[in-house]
Amino acid sequence: MSSSTPFDARRPNKIHRYKPKDTNAPGDDPTPDYMNLLGMIFSMCGLMMKLKWCAWCAVYCSFISFANSRASEDTKQTLSSFMLSISAVVMSYLQNPQPMTPPWQ
Amino acid sequence: MRLLFVVTVLLLTGLLGVGSKKAHSDGDFEDNEFAEFEDFDDEEEEGTVVEEDAEFPSESESQGQAASAGKNDDDDDDEEEEDEGVVETEDDEFDHMMDEEEFIGFDRDTRAGKGKPHDVPDLKIAKVPIHLRTNWDSFYLEMLMLAGLGVYFLNFLAGKTKNSKLAQAWFTSHKTLLDENFSLVGDDGTSKEVAGGTLMKESENIYTLWCSGRTCVEGMLVELKLIKRQDLINVMATLLKPLADQIVVKVTMDPAMEKFCFCVANKKSIAKLHKEQTDLSQFAEKKGVEKYNIPSSFQMLSEIPEASSFILDKRVCSALEQYESQIEYIHISDQYSGPKNQYDDAQTKMPEVTPSLVFCFNVPGKGKTRVSDIEGTVVLMKLVFYCVDKVSRMSLSKEARTKAERNRQKAEEAFLKLAHSQRQEAAQQRREEKRRQEKERIMNEEDPDRARKLEEKESKRDMKRKQARTKMMKVKGM
Repeated sequence: MSSSTPFDARRPNKIHRYKPKDTNAPGDDPTPDYMNLLGMIFSMCGLMMKLKWCAWCAVYCSFISFANSRASEDTKQTLSSFMLSISAVVMSYLQNPQPMTPPWQ
Repeated sequence: MRLLFVVTVLLLTGLLGVGSKKAHSDGDFEDNEFAEFEDFDDEEEEGTVVEEDAEFPSESESQGQAASAGKNDDDDDDEEEEDEGVVETEDDEFDHMMDEEEFIGFDRDTRAGKGKPHDVPDLKIAKVPIHLRTNWDSFYLEMLMLAGLGVYFLNFLAGKTKNSKLAQAWFTSHKTLLDENFSLVGDDGTSKEVAGGTLMKESENIYTLWCSGRTCVEGMLVELKLIKRQDLINVMATLLKPLADQIVVKVTMDPAMEKFCFCVANKKSIAKLHKEQTDLSQFAEKKGVEKYNIPSSFQMLSEIPEASSFILDKRVCSALEQYESQIEYIHISDQYSGPKNQYDDAQTKMPEVTPSLVFCFNVPGKGKTRVSDIEGTVVLMKLVFYCVDKVSRMSLSKEARTKAERNRQKAEEAFLKLAHSQRQEAAQQRREEKRRQEKERIMNEEDPDRARKLEEKESKRDMKRKQARTKMMKVKGM
């Protein structure tokens, strides 16, 4: 299949600027939003009920949310969720410096 | 004067002495601890226990420790007293308390706090919370968690770099071809001056490129939908079920494009497209591909047979055969509006449509894509331009055009009907709601006069409505 057309198809006078898509339709990948929410829930559980494993899950959730986030999204939200999860971990260890016990023990 | 001075000094030393004694008696571990070390070598073990206790003055269990330490101290004190040969005055003074005859039910053996213990007391060492500095091993779960986070982060960096490399490789290899076909390649829409060369990053795995300035074409948006290599969970899922990187090319045509809906796709995607795409579900029907020389793994949805035979010429068919695994679908439609909005069944106006050609290509490699695989997709871009030129040159017969027009009108009417009936329903509901509220107000009205007035108003309104209806009926009957 030959690529070169016999005539120049370019039309500089027909340029249309790029219009960004509307803020994401719900059909788009909802992973970062779900993970963000889940992270916050885990953080609150970890803080209120002093559960270390909740706090660690929160850290993981906010990390996953950050990895999957879109460039158009506000980084402040992801960052705040991350900070919340870190604080949940730190608080649970300050209140109870015992190591975590696995459920099988 | 001198006497006064001496007296004050004596007083001060006396106070200090009392104060320090108090400190001792308050359970100051350190003094006792050192005292133990000085006097008794065999009590070093107990001493170490107490030492550890001393490092946790703020612990909630400190009181427990204090109690146990206190107990240890008591025992030590007793032994100390013993060794120094101090006469136990307790017995002498309270001998009468030990008299069995004196008390009923007195049991000599159960007395606590007697002087010399016969054997070494059982030291109940309080459960000391393990401190980070002294015992790393017990924090193995935390280490595991941190290691997991570290692995995730490393994978994030690696995946992000790989995706970025693939996207850049695609851009570099396609730039020449795109520059030949478009006057503007790579616009992000934000810069004041029209400048190209921007590959936009939507996320760590989605890159987009906008090209414009070509005959018969408004613009072309290329989306590089790469695998989420930056997310470890996705990477593991991909190991179980391999996915391919996808390149989605959407060409928005001029409104002058011929009216027809057409789609040729992989067997797996055809059903999904037929269900989800608004235009395909409304206009296109499944048609056989036997008369075309394309692999059996492809199926076709078409509205106008003339259009589909025009599109599926020799070159397109040979491309479909040669790149069977790489072409996911080709969707050409003048009524393209994207997938149906599942959450909004009650649409009040028709979705906006643009005449478009949508191509979806799979990058060979099925996940384990190399830069060379991405570079090999240039030939598919050439197919895109070939199809674009073909569609812009297309000219349907009169019958085909009339058929297409009729189909579109029917679809519009059906939509309007649906919208109208929905609006009527909504209006009816609102009216019912209003009436109900009025009635409730009347019922709740305590003042009988006002209630009567409201009821009269309501009945007048009902009469009016009935009159209006009968008038309409009369007109209709005439």
